[in-house]
Amino acid sequence: MTAQRVVVDPVTRIEGHLRIEAMLDGKGTIQDAMSSGTMWRGIEIILRNRDPRTAWAYCERICGVCTTVHALASVRAVENAVGITVPRNADIIRNIMFLTQYVQDHVIHFYHLTALDWVDLVSALGADPAKTAALAQAVSPHWPKATTGYFSDVKATLSKFASSGQLGIFANAYWGHPAYKLPAEANLMAVAHYLEALKWQKEIAKIHTIFGGKNPHPNYLVGGMACAIDMQSDNAINMERLNYVKGLITQAQGIVENLYLPDLLAVASFYPEWTTYGGGLGNYMSYGDMPQNGIGDPSTFLFPRGIILDKDLSKVLEVDPTDPDQIREQVAHSWYTYPAGTEALHPWDGVTEPKYTGPKPPYKQLDENGQYSWLKAPRWRGKAMEVGPLARVLIGFASGRDDFKEVVTEALGQLKIPAAALFSTLGRLAARGLETRLAAHWLQAEFDRLVANIKAGDQQVADTTRWEPATWPAECKGFGFTEAPRGSLGHWVHIKDTKIANYQAVVPSTWNASPKDSEGQHGAYEAALLGTPMADPKRPVEILRTIHSFDPCLACASHVFGPDGEKLAEVVVR
Amino acid sequence: MTAGSASPQSTTEPLLVLGLGNLLLRDDGVGLELLKRLEGRFADAPGIELVEGGTQGLALLPFLERRPGLLVLDAAAFGAAPGTVHVMWNPEHHAAPRGIGAHEGNAGELLDAARLIGYLPEQVCLVGVEPADISTGIGLSGEVEGALEAALEAATAAVARLTAS
Repeated sequence: MTAQRVVVDPVTRIEGHLRIEAMLDGKGTIQDAMSSGTMWRGIEIILRNRDPRTAWAYCERICGVCTTVHALASVRAVENAVGITVPRNADIIRNIMFLTQYVQDHVIHFYHLTALDWVDLVSALGADPAKTAALAQAVSPHWPKATTGYFSDVKATLSKFASSGQLGIFANAYWGHPAYKLPAEANLMAVAHYLEALKWQKEIAKIHTIFGGKNPHPNYLVGGMACAIDMQSDNAINMERLNYVKGLITQAQGIVENLYLPDLLAVASFYPEWTTYGGGLGNYMSYGDMPQNGIGDPSTFLFPRGIILDKDLSKVLEVDPTDPDQIREQVAHSWYTYPAGTEALHPWDGVTEPKYTGPKPPYKQLDENGQYSWLKAPRWRGKAMEVGPLARVLIGFASGRDDFKEVVTEALGQLKIPAAALFSTLGRLAARGLETRLAAHWLQAEFDRLVANIKAGDQQVADTTRWEPATWPAECKGFGFTEAPRGSLGHWVHIKDTKIANYQAVVPSTWNASPKDSEGQHGAYEAALLGTPMADPKRPVEILRTIHSFDPCLACASHVFGPDGEKLAEVVVR
Repeated sequence: MTAGSASPQSTTEPLLVLGLGNLLLRDDGVGLELLKRLEGRFADAPGIELVEGGTQGLALLPFLERRPGLLVLDAAAFGAAPGTVHVMWNPEHHAAPRGIGAHEGNAGELLDAARLIGYLPEQVCLVGVEPADISTGIGLSGEVEGALEAALEAATAAVARLTAS
């Protein structure tokens, strides 16, 4: 094998447009990698001069998947700027929306966005339904659908689907690749659960509809939430709706505990080598979230705030996103231009001036020494950071939190692996599952808190005393944040004369998918690919495994019905 | 019903007319324009529900459940001359091999997923218009604009057939 360049564009089973170029040495090991966001976003320009109270509705539509998270960060930014503290019910309802998004997003990620990197559909067609039933009962004794008849039905449906020679939604994978290690029965079990999760995911989203009026893109409000609470009204949050939410939470817990977690651990147990690849930066950041005493009191957050450097779990450093010396974005390798003499800018002073210097598409390759992405390169005190489930779980664990330690220790014990194994592609997938366990548990706790608060006579969901712009200072700045499912999300707003003077969103995938910075430090995706051996560069399942473990989300895609479909991923080896 | 069951679901919902597409990608939005025009004809008709699906992809799955029939209005890039109206009944495979993903929501993926979990209506019809221009922008090309009447007639005929069966 000679040194070569593998190009995957677009990377599929992700949200948005991402291009990966990986440079392999003569042995097929990745020596260098480039992550390029190939789509321009531009929300900062759309928001200029708008009413800050409407920003959430625009921001929320950055994405059709994490639809609530941008709205949440946005209302928090504006509230922070003009000095609003939301009522307790609003905090709790926001937490419920937040956790609902987690549980739905993470389950979908596992089954629908990454499972096919590990689960071989074609092998599933050869499984013995009786043996599959026995396996399913052993793996998850409390999940009811584990009979021979059930798996026979699933197998028949899949066989019929595959018999036309076209695999439709399952076409996008490298079936028969030697990197697939599961026995046929485990594959059939996982594919059956893929279908179960597909049916279930539409149920959990109803929680967003109940509190947010619609889904996707539920309604938020600067000052609180837009859903009235009134037990006597048919048109408000009442007992009937609360009971419905309660049922959905119970159902979600069943999916997480009896389907997702057992499947995740079962699949992981067949891929021990993936605890040694894909670790990457070893620097982790979380802004924290899930306030228990208002967003201004990070000490009560259920997701703790902090930084871990160089995989050192013995200390958690502090992060302050409002400190102009901490978080700063660079554009050395990005298609933007900064004012002369400026290398890095804090988001409050952020500048969004596009300047495309790349080749005219379609192009063969990008230049790793030049500008190569529509993403900027955010850094914390000059260091590249990984954000997302692994960061949150490690920071919770390293902060000494019992709930995090319990779920982590239990999973490590079941897989018989040390804590250091978490710094890997598989560790990232495991962390996502473990925080989903916590999220499903917290969902119930937040629901109980809401009911208790309402029972105590508190029906207030919004504070509108500062709704009128006349009550605001002439000029103010605010920072809003959330720990979106994919990681730390920050919105920085600068309000002048009641209008938005500047708005900057630094999203999780800007951190993880960032290009190199002026010092040549890789972003998280790039770093995670380094050192990974590839069995067959024409079928780069190894790249997909690691990139998918981050759950990339870049922007919205196009949508046309075609007989052959679009090319799933142009894989070019040079 | 289990995930693996292929038996027909009980149908208690009205016939669904689903407009799909992205208004910001010129001709990709033709399904939405057709839906708007069909609303004029069927807004008050019993037994028919018109839904603007946009680019929601799999989030539309719940809308397919328990429907006796489904009419999908969409742009359809089959390689014919721009403005060609395509009518397909019960296409065996919708095969858009991009894999599943909430952002990659095209009709093929939605119908494939519905088939696998037993939500696919007995009768499915696609009325699609071959696009000329799916670049960023608002408004249909002349070719697609000129095909709207024919597409509308095809869609009306499909509704008649779906309600008769």
